[in-house]
Amino acid sequence: MIEVRGISKSFGTTVALDDVSFRLDRGEILGFLGPNGAGKSTTMKIITTFLAPDQGRITVDGIDVLEQPLDVRRRIGYLPENVPLYLDMNVQEYLTFVGQARGLSSGQLSKRLDWCVEACGLVTEFKKNIGELSKGYRQRTGLAQALIHDPEILILDEPTSGLDPLQILGIRDLIKSLAGEKTIIFSTHILQEVTPVTDRVVIINEGRIIADGNVGDLSRDAMGTNRIFVGLRQDTASVESALRGLDEVTEVRPLPAAEGCRFEVRGSFDTDLVGAVGRLARDRNWDLTQLNEAVYSLEDTFISLTRRARDRSRGNLRGVA
Amino acid sequence: MTNTMTVFRREFASYFNSPIAYIFIIAFLVLNSGLFMTGFFLNASADLRSFFGNLPFFLIFFIPAVSMRLWAEDKRTGTFELLMTLPMRAREVMMGKYLAAFAFYLVALAGTLPLPIMVTALGNPDVGAIWSGYIGAALLGGLYLAVGTFTSGLMRDQISAVILGIMACFLIFIVGVPGVAATIDGWIPGLGSFLQHFVGLSDHFEMMLRGVITLGDLAYFLGLTAVFLSLNTLWLKGRKY
Repeated sequence: MIEVRGISKSFGTTVALDDVSFRLDRGEILGFLGPNGAGKSTTMKIITTFLAPDQGRITVDGIDVLEQPLDVRRRIGYLPENVPLYLDMNVQEYLTFVGQARGLSSGQLSKRLDWCVEACGLVTEFKKNIGELSKGYRQRTGLAQALIHDPEILILDEPTSGLDPLQILGIRDLIKSLAGEKTIIFSTHILQEVTPVTDRVVIINEGRIIADGNVGDLSRDAMGTNRIFVGLRQDTASVESALRGLDEVTEVRPLPAAEGCRFEVRGSFDTDLVGAVGRLARDRNWDLTQLNEAVYSLEDTFISLTRRARDRSRGNLRGVA
Repeated sequence: MTNTMTVFRREFASYFNSPIAYIFIIAFLVLNSGLFMTGFFLNASADLRSFFGNLPFFLIFFIPAVSMRLWAEDKRTGTFELLMTLPMRAREVMMGKYLAAFAFYLVALAGTLPLPIMVTALGNPDVGAIWSGYIGAALLGGLYLAVGTFTSGLMRDQISAVILGIMACFLIFIVGVPGVAATIDGWIPGLGSFLQHFVGLSDHFEMMLRGVITLGDLAYFLGLTAVFLSLNTLWLKGRKY
């Protein structure tokens, strides 16, 4: 549906994007992650035809963004990071303006207005001046604007920025409810927002894609080895050596424990570490307090991947020097 | 065309959504009519020559103030990004904005209609000259607006936009003044007269004050307006942000 191939973009001497490529199939939701200033917004501005790339090619639904920008724009609903609102209009006038500019007939428009206002929770604010709305309602008005023409593709730049937790939940539910029928790219630097909505993420840092895949694979990749935590009520030296004795285990690290003992046990991802330790515990009648896989949060994944990317680029520089 | 109308309606309404529109119109009418009336009683002649004669200079300041917000405001608030990602051509958006500003100017100009009515009641003016004067005033405003719309696009804030607009309109005005043209001719022979006839507006506007509308003068106003509107479209298409 969306194919980004090798796009680069510089502003003056600043390189904003460097050979960025990824693709997205119809109906997929993509979480676009990266620290502030990584190039998320620039990429989105290029896909939505607001900016032209210096190099590279983007097709949306098979249509080249540079060759037929109007056809691309028709298919996309776009919520920029700076929510583009006319503060002198009320919500109804604003959405009507965008709907008309998108070529909706008055019949379609009134149907879509009803739907958007309902879906974005704007019923009570419909006649209010946008200048008087709170940040949350402004964000929702911006979202309604992106949905007004029922686009196949939604591009949302930081849709939840500046919202309170309840509002974030609302936007998240809305995005989830659109899953399957729409192709969605949303960017964020808040990682907890991604996993509830989608598995597919692209991580960008300093203008380069450093990871592309599903959250599980990426966190495995970032973790390097499979890890589990084991806790026991009794504290005996035999426990550690018994754990080390297992074929599956490559490393055992004692961890501080309030009562009994705790270990971090590592092995390869191909093996069932939890199963193996569980069988051992049953054989030896251990009184387990804990037995679970370490879950690498997206945060840890993100930090370790960005760090790795940075080290790599420094390494390259050193190599050149 | 539909797209141009959509943009036009929004922009035109937004002029009247703020008190600035009314302040503009009142200032325009008070200053213009006031200036005219002072001379009117002194000259005691029933025509509008001095009213129209003031316009080329007066509008240098008034028009850029009308057009300053057209692009600068959108760039400041971020709606520029919305406009440029809607399925409309750059030219359509630009024309919608330009025509809205032009319509606003015509509203202000229509506010001066009591003047010809008064002059007609008091004396026996040359009606043809009044008509052609109004046509000239509309064309003059249209030209300045095209310049102001273009300069508004180059700037992110309205103050810079209005100052740049005033300077650009002033340039078009001043090169048409015969004395200035003669001076420039003194430096580079031929350049002064070239600028005076093809860029400067005094020659062309003066003819309309006398009640003469020639094809050449029409071509001058419409042509130069088209040049600035095209520059605006080119700027929109070529923007790299």
